[in-house]
Amino acid sequence: MNKSAPVVEIRDLHKHFAGVQVLRGINLKVERGQTVSVLGSSGSGKSTMLRCINWLEVPDGGEIYIGGDRMGIKGEQAKAMSNRELAAMRARTAMVFQGFNLWPHLTVLQNVTEAPIHVLGVSRKEANDHAVELLEKVGLSHKHDAYPWSLSGGQRQRVAIARALAMNPEVILFDEPTSALDPELVGEVLAVMRSLAEDGFTMVIVTHEMEFARAVSNEVVFIEKGQIIERAAPEKFFTNSDSERVRQFLGRYRTTTA
Amino acid sequence: MNAIEMLWDNLGVFAEGLQNTLILFCVSSVFAFILACCIAFLLEGQENIPRRLLRAVIDLMRMLPFLIFLYLLYYGLPNLGISLDVWAAGFIALITYHGAYFAEILRAARTSLPAGQAEAAYAHGFINATMYWRILLPQMVMRSGPLFGNQLVCLLKDTAFLSIITLMDLTAAASAVQAKYFVPLPPFILVIALYWSITLIVEALLRRLARRAQKRGLVHE
Amino acid sequence: MNSSDWITLLYAAWTTVWVCGISIILGIILGLVVAMLRAAKIPVISQVLAVYVSLIRATPMVTLVLFLFVIAPSMGWEVDARVVAIAAMTINTTAFNAEIWRSALTSFSREQLEAAKAAGMTTGLTLRRIMLPQMLTTSLPGLVNEMSLLVKSSPAIAMIGIVDLTRVTNRIAAVTYDPLPPILAAGLLYLLIIGGLVRFQRIADSRAKRLAM
Repeated sequence: MNKSAPVVEIRDLHKHFAGVQVLRGINLKVERGQTVSVLGSSGSGKSTMLRCINWLEVPDGGEIYIGGDRMGIKGEQAKAMSNRELAAMRARTAMVFQGFNLWPHLTVLQNVTEAPIHVLGVSRKEANDHAVELLEKVGLSHKHDAYPWSLSGGQRQRVAIARALAMNPEVILFDEPTSALDPELVGEVLAVMRSLAEDGFTMVIVTHEMEFARAVSNEVVFIEKGQIIERAAPEKFFTNSDSERVRQFLGRYRTTTA
Repeated sequence: MNAIEMLWDNLGVFAEGLQNTLILFCVSSVFAFILACCIAFLLEGQENIPRRLLRAVIDLMRMLPFLIFLYLLYYGLPNLGISLDVWAAGFIALITYHGAYFAEILRAARTSLPAGQAEAAYAHGFINATMYWRILLPQMVMRSGPLFGNQLVCLLKDTAFLSIITLMDLTAAASAVQAKYFVPLPPFILVIALYWSITLIVEALLRRLARRAQKRGLVHE
Repeated sequence: MNSSDWITLLYAAWTTVWVCGISIILGIILGLVVAMLRAAKIPVISQVLAVYVSLIRATPMVTLVLFLFVIAPSMGWEVDARVVAIAAMTINTTAFNAEIWRSALTSFSREQLEAAKAAGMTTGLTLRRIMLPQMLTTSLPGLVNEMSLLVKSSPAIAMIGIVDLTRVTNRIAAVTYDPLPPILAAGLLYLLIIGGLVRFQRIADSRAKRLAM
């Protein structure tokens, strides 16, 4: 791991699905400790870009680097990484999904300790202690032995965040983390994410929550039809964007929340 | 004597076996199905003692092995003065045993029908029986397609048990030919291939029926 | 029917139980192996297994048992009737279990697999810690149903001389000339065995429902 390299670097990323070109040359650098929000309309390619970072989608062109190391491809001959090598690279990142994707046969505590024990080889005691700390941080200390089915959506997502943190990742990737939640439950999840940003975690967040993006990000990125058409600090993005398309997008947002 | 010659020379035995198996299968399937529809109709309506008893009998039969039931009819009934020949015992056993299974399938389909169906029929002035046979039952049958297919295959396989009480079915044919020459492989391979073929044909027919049902909007995939 | 007949009956019931029991256990494990091999899509093996599953599911137990029994000597195999019985029932139940496991494998939640991938788990780890525990729970009702189907077709082994709970009725009747009581008694014992399995299936069903969240 190269301490001075950007945590995530994306160069000229291309991806198509069944003949439809979804990503047409994305370039992005995420430095350590930054929170980057990714906005765009549905179908713009923002989730696809996020999922390429940890190789859940395999790019058709371009390069991805995690902490300076090439993701998904290795060596001089640019051969595809084996499943084992991919797993090792993925262990350096963490992802929080729209659908939470908790493992239902494990308790809350077990969900958080599962990967550290079996992927990182951490001892059970250490993993448990860390998990207890993290669950307290996300406000679920009283739910250690509960199973996912007994939790609300907001609680499940907070467990998912604790699970992500347990891997001590270099970057946390959020794929529309609150889109599947009832409105009353969105706040508790955003509060946790905000505290993570304040603690200095490196985060890439694909979201529709404008207020949140404005308040918490260091940088806002707007993707439209597979390309980044605006990248700016939150204040500039939300009040004085250079792009007509962004102003149009925000205009719609402003009307609905006015 | 090679395999083909052996099979050819005994074609009569295999033909008889196949014929008997098919007669048992087809006749029993039809009557078991009719019986099941009648049972399901009898079960329709308010909960009372006869209905509870009927359901208990169905559950009981589904927990017994087919052969024991056959034994009961063929060896046990003579005790009570009723003597059945192999064919009678075979038909009654297959029809009532699998009738119970078909009835269970229909019962499950009945509970999955939206309550509005019966209500709409009553509102239009249908009387009980007509409503049941023309509106509820067709839907119950269409919804259970694959389950009926499975059960039919079970019925086919249970016909083989009749070879134990000396009915000359396909399995008995294989056994007879093999006993004649002590070369077991060819006759059994032929017979297993025939069972397999019948199964594939039945499944294909059911798929075609299912497609026709779908076209008329009776089934939603 | 006197008490010594009852003892004979119970002993035969035990024979049915242990012969079926071994076949059930072997069949569940081998069924999983077959399902996983088919999921791995290995060129020739997948097709062979597909044919095996389809063929055996269409073959009556009686035919299969008889078939294995008569070809055993010419193949140079063990001719012990009990071995043949277990082999036949295992071959049969494996095919059915393979379909049950296969359905669980292909319908497994892709979202959970993505979460495991994203957390850096290898395929082996994911299979062992995430998939199998849940697949076992969701497949259990189907597997138990297949167990009771196996017991219901087990009388086929009476054909090759094993004194199971069905053949024993012939034995007893041969002495007492009164077939009805032993048949009824055997029926009762079968009811108890299969009733126990049905009970087990209901419990398995409710546990499986909870996992579905």
